[in-house]
Formats: sequence, C-alpha cells, structure tokens
Amino acid sequence: MRAILKQVLYLSIALVGLYAALLALSYALVPTVSGRAGLDTHLAADSIFATEPKYVFLNRSAVRPEASRIVFVGASNTVVGFKQPEVQQLLPSSEVDNLSVGGSNMTQVAQIVDLVQDLQDSAARRRTTFVIGMWYGMFVQDSFRWATPDRHPGDTDIDIERYRYGFYRRTDAGPRQLVPPEDLPLGVMLIHPYLVLDALSRLAGKDFHRLLLGNPPHRTDAERNATIVSEADKVLALTYWREQMHSDGPVSEEQFLVLRDLVARILAQGSKAVLIDLPIPRWHAERSPYYANYLTRKKTLLSGLQGEPGFTYLEMADQDDDLDFSDEVHPKPRVTPLWATQIAALLQGPHT
Amino acid sequence: MDFTSSTYLAFVAVIALSFNAWNAPRYRLWVLLIANLAFIASFVQSPDQLAPLAGFLVLGYAATRWVARWPKPWILGFTVAVIVVAFAVLKRYTFLPSGIGLPFLYLQIGLSYILFRILQMVIDSAGGEKDARLGPLHFFNFTCNFLSFVSGPIQRSDEYLAQLDQLGRKVDETLAFAAFHRVIKGFIKLAVVSAVANYLFAALSADVLAEATSLSGWRYVAQYAASAVAYTFYLYYNFSGYMDIVIGIGWLVGQNLPENFDRPFSARNIFEFWARWHMTLSEWFKTYVFNPLMKFLAAHVSAPALLPYLGVLAFFVTFFVMGVWHGSTGVFVIYGLVMGAGASLNKLWQVFMTNRLGKKRYKSVGESFAYASLARGLLFAFFALAVTGLWVNMHQLSLLAHRLGIAGLTLALVGTALAAAFGGIAVDRAGRVLAALAPRLQGLNAAGVAARSVVLASEVLLIFAVSSFFHKAPEFVYKAF
Repeated sequence: MRAILKQVLYLSIALVGLYAALLALSYALVPTVSGRAGLDTHLAADSIFATEPKYVFLNRSAVRPEASRIVFVGASNTVVGFKQPEVQQLLPSSEVDNLSVGGSNMTQVAQIVDLVQDLQDSAARRRTTFVIGMWYGMFVQDSFRWATPDRHPGDTDIDIERYRYGFYRRTDAGPRQLVPPEDLPLGVMLIHPYLVLDALSRLAGKDFHRLLLGNPPHRTDAERNATIVSEADKVLALTYWREQMHSDGPVSEEQFLVLRDLVARILAQGSKAVLIDLPIPRWHAERSPYYANYLTRKKTLLSGLQGEPGFTYLEMADQDDDLDFSDEVHPKPRVTPLWATQIAALLQGPHT
Repeated sequence: MDFTSSTYLAFVAVIALSFNAWNAPRYRLWVLLIANLAFIASFVQSPDQLAPLAGFLVLGYAATRWVARWPKPWILGFTVAVIVVAFAVLKRYTFLPSGIGLPFLYLQIGLSYILFRILQMVIDSAGGEKDARLGPLHFFNFTCNFLSFVSGPIQRSDEYLAQLDQLGRKVDETLAFAAFHRVIKGFIKLAVVSAVANYLFAALSADVLAEATSLSGWRYVAQYAASAVAYTFYLYYNFSGYMDIVIGIGWLVGQNLPENFDRPFSARNIFEFWARWHMTLSEWFKTYVFNPLMKFLAAHVSAPALLPYLGVLAFFVTFFVMGVWHGSTGVFVIYGLVMGAGASLNKLWQVFMTNRLGKKRYKSVGESFAYASLARGLLFAFFALAVTGLWVNMHQLSLLAHRLGIAGLTLALVGTALAAAFGGIAVDRAGRVLAALAPRLQGLNAAGVAARSVVLASEVLLIFAVSSFFHKAPEFVYKAF
C-alpha cells in the first residue's frame, strides 16, 4: 500500500513539475492568448486556437462585457459575409463578435448561442443581439451532419471541443460541465501548452501538405473577386450538397424546429434575435432540389415568429446575382461591405 | 467500463488500494470478488441482463463437477457439446436457426473467454486434474476476473491456483514502479500508437470501401494494402497495449497474468507467428483442438507417408476454428478459411522443402538473411491481408474482391511482403542501435526515484497530448471478438 501511494506521489510531483516547465515554455513561445477587441472566427486559423470550433469554445468571453454586444452566428457564409472589422467599424458603440463556424447546422448554432449565454449574467444577456445567418445548407439533420467515423455519432464540432481538454464530460444524458463557465479563462491558461502544440502541429501539417501534395494556398481576395464559377464547378457543388443532405428533399423539419426553439430561447433570456436569410447565387437556387422546399418551411417558421418582441427578420436572399459569389454559397469580398452596411443599418434602427 | 475512461482508472485505483490495505489472503480474495462483480455490473443496465451469463457459469461449474465424477469419454463429449451449443446460442451466431436465441438484451461481452476457461476446466477435470476443479468463489474469480474478462489473457486454472500462494504478497517500490511503467506503456500503445494507426486506417479505407470510388488500378491496390497494414498495426498495438495495462494492474492486485504477445512481426512462419500473437489463445487451441485432432488422425491413418500431411489437415481445422471464433457472421467463416488455408500451405511448404532439401539444409536455408527477411515480409503481408475479414462486412468483402481480382490481390500481397521485408530489415538495424543504448534504457528500474518519475510523467503527458488530437479515444478492438 505504502509503495503504491509513494509511487503515486512521485508521479504526481513529477507531473506537476514537468507540466509547470512546459507551461512556462509555451508562454515563452506564445506569450498571450488574446486581447483583441471583437471576436472573429475568420482569424481562428492564425490564432493559438487553430480551428473555428476551438476558437469559439475557448475564446467566447466578451472582451468588453459592459458594452452592448452583437454576436453573429451561422456557417461559413456568415464568417466571410459579415467581416467583423467591417461591421464593427459601422457600429462603434457595440462589441461585434462573429462566432460563426464553417459547416454548422442549426444544432451547432444553438450550441454556440448557449455557450455565449452561459458566460453572461441577465444584464449582459439583455444587451446582446444574436444575428443568425441561415441558408438551406444549414438544415442538414444531425444524424447525417454529425456522422463521421472519427467522432461519436451526433457529436458536433463544438461537442468535440467540449470534451477534448476535459472541460465537459460525456454522459448518457449529454455533455456534463466539469469546469464552471467563470473558470474558463483559468482553464484556457492551464491548457496553453496543448494549444501551442496543436497550433504548431497544424502549422507543420499545412506545410507538409503543401510540400508533398501541392495543396494550393488559400485564394486571395483579388482572386475570389475575379472568380467566375464554371459549369463543372456548379455540377460538383450540386453533387456535394446532394451528398450532404442525404436525399433529394424535402429539407428536414428537425433543424427548423431547432431554429424555432433557439429563437424562443434567445428571446426568453432577454436577448434579441435577428434572422437573416442569406443569398445564394441564382443558378444554385434554381438548380437545387431543396431550395423551394426550404422557402416553404421558412415561410411557416416566420409566420410563427413575426411580431415576437425582440425578433427581426432580414431578407437578403434576393441579392442573388451569380457574379457576386465566388462559389455556390460564399459572397465575393467586394460584396461584403454592402452586407455590413445593411446589417448595421438594421441594428442601428428602431430594432435596437 | 471503457479501458481508456477515467471511470476505469478510478475503479482500478480503488481496487488496488483496497486490495493492498490488508495482507490477509481471504480479505484480498473478497476484494477481488467485489471488483469482478462491480466490473461486470458496469456493462449492464438491469440485473436481468446478467441472467444468461449467470446461467452459463452455473452450467460450467456443474459440468466440471459431473465430468470429474463420471469421467467417461462420451459424457465429456456430450458435456462439451452442450457447453459449446449454449455458448453459440448466447453469442447469437447467425448460422443458427432464427428464433433460437433469447428474446431480450443481455451481456455478451466476456462469454468467449469464459468459454475457454470453462472448457479447459471441464476437459482437465475429466482427465483427473484436481487443479481444474475450483470451489464456487475461486470458480467465479477465475472465470470472471475483471482484468481478463473482456479479452483475456486466457489463464489456466492451475496457473490461477498457483498464484493464490502470492495473494498475500506485499507490493514493494520496485514492483509498484514496474506496474506503473507497464500500465503507462500499455496506454502509450493503446492511446497513442494504435490511435494514430486507426486514424490512418479510417482515412485510407474510406475510399477503398466507398460504393463509388475515384481510385482505380494500382492506386486502388496500393491504398487497400496501406489500409490493411494500418489496421494490422492498429490491431496489434491496441490489443498488446490492453495486455500491458491489465498485466501491470495485475501486479498491483497479486496476479501474474500470462503474457500474450512476443514480437509477433518477427515471426518467419505462421506457426511461429501464432506462438507470438495472442499466445494464450494459440496455446489453448494447440492443447484442446490441434493435439487431440492429431492424436485422433494418427490413430486412424496407418500409412507412414501420410503422417506429415495429417499436420496439414490438423492445422487447417485448428486455424479455421480459431478464425471462426472471432465473430458470429459469415465473413468470419471466410476469415477462418483464409487462415486455415494459409496454415495448410505453410505446412505443405515445410513438408515439400524438407523432402527436397533435407531437414538440415532446409534449416540452414531458412536461417539465411534473404530467406528469413522475405519469409518475415510474406508472413506479415499474409496476416495483414487476411485480417481484412475483421474490418469488412460481407458486402464490402465482395466489393473488394470484385475490384481487386486475383491480380490485384497478388500485387497487394507481393508489394506488402516486399515493403514489410525491407521494413523489417530497417527495424532490425534500428534495434541494433537501440541495443547499444540498452544498458541505459533498461537501467530505468535502477535509476533514481526522480529520474524514473520524470520518465513516467513524460509518458503520461505524451498520452494526454496525442489523445487531445483525436476526437474520440480508440475503442478496445478485441472487445468485439
């Protein structure tokens, strides 16, 4: 017994000592985690968090908690469509955060909203407006969207981050929080060596891919502005979304119910909700087997939400000029200032 | 209870501390009983899910008694048949008529290994072995040992009884360190090496098994071979890591479980391989299937010229049964046939070469560098391709067969064999370099407390670091067999 306890003690001391040394080393290599006003998942790849879901989960605290807060949530077209600096410039009195994560469906969007609200008291919630960007590709039902061999079935990308460093524990009843929200900054500080290691390995992996496989670097804004989507790319994109949706329609009702409940929850907490129907290029809308059904379900959803205090709907789907998009869903960089202006006008108006 | 879960670690900590709180053997026996019961209970939601397992244990216990009392061959044969049929029904083998199984959910984990232990006791009891008849408490602790319940190693009842003498053993600092080191080494294999291999396997095999794949020709063959190799490493490191964990924990709770792996990829023929891979299973099949079968065949075949070929048949049957044991679906029958065919061909080759070259020359050829390297590579390639049966279903197997064809399969075998042969040579060379450092590496036990603890702590941090890259902990693969 004594020998076992002694061994545990020696191992514990060695672990603490070694980890303290690693912590010091990692802070020497990467001194700060964040300090920039306004969160922006577009910057995740260049941050210590390396990925959008990790950036959102670990870095979701408001930098200016006393200010009114505007939080964008959605998928990749909300990341690139509403550039945080462009919107922030138009709304200087608020803290603008873009916590959208590429590949999100409505379940993941709802999780992100819940994570943000977890860190807020009721006064902060009342000062917060959630701007939800949506399009039909975000209505893939969970059993299809979150079913890859490398994850537990149903785990979203956010769930994976909850479990990765032990902030949450998996239980039969769902994720159980182990680290209270108020201790999030301390937790992030303690896992700093792991964050540095992950960021470094991703950096090395990126270079390795580029070197060995010749993976092209990300397109520049100028290249994206100049893009004309070819017929071959259109066919590829339509095939891709057919595979993602796992059927030729209709769009699953499950995710519309998740969205309806999410809006109700946001409003019940005293926050405001802005729902935006984001545009996709006209060719995509016309050739997609899901779009018409999506419009029908959206209409039903809105009929239940219109008139709710604190809820606003912004229609942008008509801004669907093919030349404004660099692929089947993402707006070109030259278009985004216009998007920023529209949302800023709405948020500065009687809504807020 | 998952081996990589914190719940399992907490469970083991409680058991190890409770066990070592008092040296009295009787007390420790009861701690182990409680541990075994708690471990099994962790797999079920309600007590009724344990009823079939309890029934199977009662059947096994009664069987060891009645075959000892009436040791007639036909009674033994009938008893073994009843136990095997009961096992097959409980395992829900698909070849059984539908509607024969129990119509409710129950615990199936552990049944295969309990079967081996019960059959060993029944057969040895009939042979008059006193050590094969255990009292109820020992019978339960032996058949349902929490350390070997899920996937072995397959301990023998005489080994179990022999180690009871050590039940009062005090854990000293050397043993405690050795146990911690072994457990952590197991976790490195399981959570680091096998996790990486599994990640590669998942990435490589997705295209190979996809209904519509962009791969074709030699690219398809190469990716299939790479998937098979990745799975083989995953299987080995996953299973041998698990063994390290349970053997290490065993040292803390008065048990010396038998070793189950001994550098299997250094084997140069299939028989040597199985003497190094899942050793306790191979030993069991050798004792209770191969030897009796050879004895039976030898008694019924009088022509001396045929005697060497009896081994070919006996090996085919033994390896076929061993293959089929791994699973309850049709694909495992094919896996068994492939393993049986491989063993038979290997034996035929040995007979042919011995006849042609003579024993002495064949031995000397077998030990030559080129022959040994190629044989090792070919053996690895055969095993890697044969275990495809463990990662595909019947539909995927026919898809693979259709896409590969005889030419593709041959190319995969030859390519993998050559790569493995050169890989083996490289590993040997690296091994020699490491051997030069061995006095330092192996001197870890003798190193100071601080150095030893820092090494262990570094290993633990490595496990955490690599685990954090993956979205889920690797499952223990042999749990499914």
